[in-house]
Amino acid sequence: MISFLRYVLRRTLQNMKGNLFLDLITIGIISISMLIFAAFTLLAFNLTHLLQIWEDRIEIIAYLKRGVPATELESLLEKTRFIEGVEMVRYISPDDAMAFMETKLGEQKNLLEGIQPTILPASFQIQLKKDYRNSIKIKEVIAHLKKIPQFEEIQYGQEWVESFSVIVHILRLTQWVLGGLLLMAIIFITSHTLQLTIFSRREEIEVMQWIGASPALIRVPFYIEGLLQGLLGAALSILFLFLLLQGVILYLPPSVSTWLAKIPVHFLPAETIVWILVAGMILGLFGSIVASMRVLKYR
Amino acid sequence: MRPETVIEMHHVFKTYPNQISALSDITLEIFSGEFVFIAGPSGCGKSVLLRIIFCAERPTKGEVVVCGLHVTQPGFKKIHYLRKMMGIISPEFKLLRDRSVVDNLTIALEVTGYDPKESKRKALEILDRVGLKKREGDSIIALSAGEQQRVAIARALVNAPSLILADEPTGNLDAQTTFDVMEIFRDLHLRGSTVVLATQDMDLLRRYPHRVIYLMDGKKADSMRI
Repeated sequence: MISFLRYVLRRTLQNMKGNLFLDLITIGIISISMLIFAAFTLLAFNLTHLLQIWEDRIEIIAYLKRGVPATELESLLEKTRFIEGVEMVRYISPDDAMAFMETKLGEQKNLLEGIQPTILPASFQIQLKKDYRNSIKIKEVIAHLKKIPQFEEIQYGQEWVESFSVIVHILRLTQWVLGGLLLMAIIFITSHTLQLTIFSRREEIEVMQWIGASPALIRVPFYIEGLLQGLLGAALSILFLFLLLQGVILYLPPSVSTWLAKIPVHFLPAETIVWILVAGMILGLFGSIVASMRVLKYR
Repeated sequence: MRPETVIEMHHVFKTYPNQISALSDITLEIFSGEFVFIAGPSGCGKSVLLRIIFCAERPTKGEVVVCGLHVTQPGFKKIHYLRKMMGIISPEFKLLRDRSVVDNLTIALEVTGYDPKESKRKALEILDRVGLKKREGDSIIALSAGEQQRVAIARALVNAPSLILADEPTGNLDAQTTFDVMEIFRDLHLRGSTVVLATQDMDLLRRYPHRVIYLMDGKKADSMRI
């Protein structure tokens, strides 16, 4: 077994050394294909992360009808707190609302001069439990709130979060469709370059068959070669993606980078990197198996 | 006591898709330790017969048993196992032209599990036997046809095979090299190996009196001893 492993590893290195140019081209093409897939994965990962942050910040604003007596407020707050999925309820008086607007307007708060806080409606700021910060569960809470007659209008930021989540879903779908096509391309490329490698070594393979080398001894070095091509291609794609991300962040115009500074940009997590490397290896291996099935017949 | 049969062929036919019949109803037995010539004019089917024995081709019909293995059985997958017991010498030599003389031998040893050092030692031993030890580091293309033939023979012998199949091993060789090569086969035969040698050289049959299986147009004439 040790001599078998030693022999196939030596043969693999000899093969790769002998076909260095072809191997480098294959690794390059695999890395470009994997880079496209990894870039989509990175984009989807960051947008999903952003979506999660925004979902975590989702809250409901229930505007009270004018003329709701202050005596009812406490019981109304209590009633709202008891709705399933509600974590916290805060009463926002018209004065609080005005103060909030002034804070938001900053230096331009003078725009509010002469406006009486009473024109602003009082409201309840409702924070939801974590499990309820999604499009299905939030609607259950809204349905309960709508049954309360003292509420005039109920607003929540879910609509645009939903639109954003549709974009993320489309991106994920594109990632997998494109990924599927790229994966097939990788198998095709690996398989064809290995067929060329096998063809360039046909004399040696024939001699090995004549002297009684087992099919495994002939095939395994090509399998390892495909596996290494896939692994190196995937590793390079991750390295390129990292450098690309750093480059993009470094060379962004200041206006865009100020805007982006508010959004946390992450690189692929270690787990995803491992998956991409494993996928590269499996694809390379599969390509080499396809190649050897086509052209490596024991004669 | 009847010696053990190494090769058995029963009613073997080989017809190519263009309807050319290479072998027709061949039945033969070759016993362990025998030196047998497969003789006949060019194109009579000698090479096809040898290629069927070492499983490079399958017969169209008939049964072939080599070293106790039914090689014509559907799905026979022990070709490599069978070839490890054989030394095959082809008229095209089948040497790796981009490798040195010694590398052409070590490859045969390494596939059977020898480590590189041990395989080199053994390869040099065999090269000494065929008179090519001094050329160990030379490239194959730097050798003459006779020397290349001797390398091919050395490679076939390096794993001490019990069965040697040689197709025209002395073709294109001068008289002295032919003698040297035949001496190697004679030596192997004396050491107990079964030697099957295909040739169209009638002089060779006269000089080395062994059993001859004579083929003519793919059919077997009676075995004869010259």
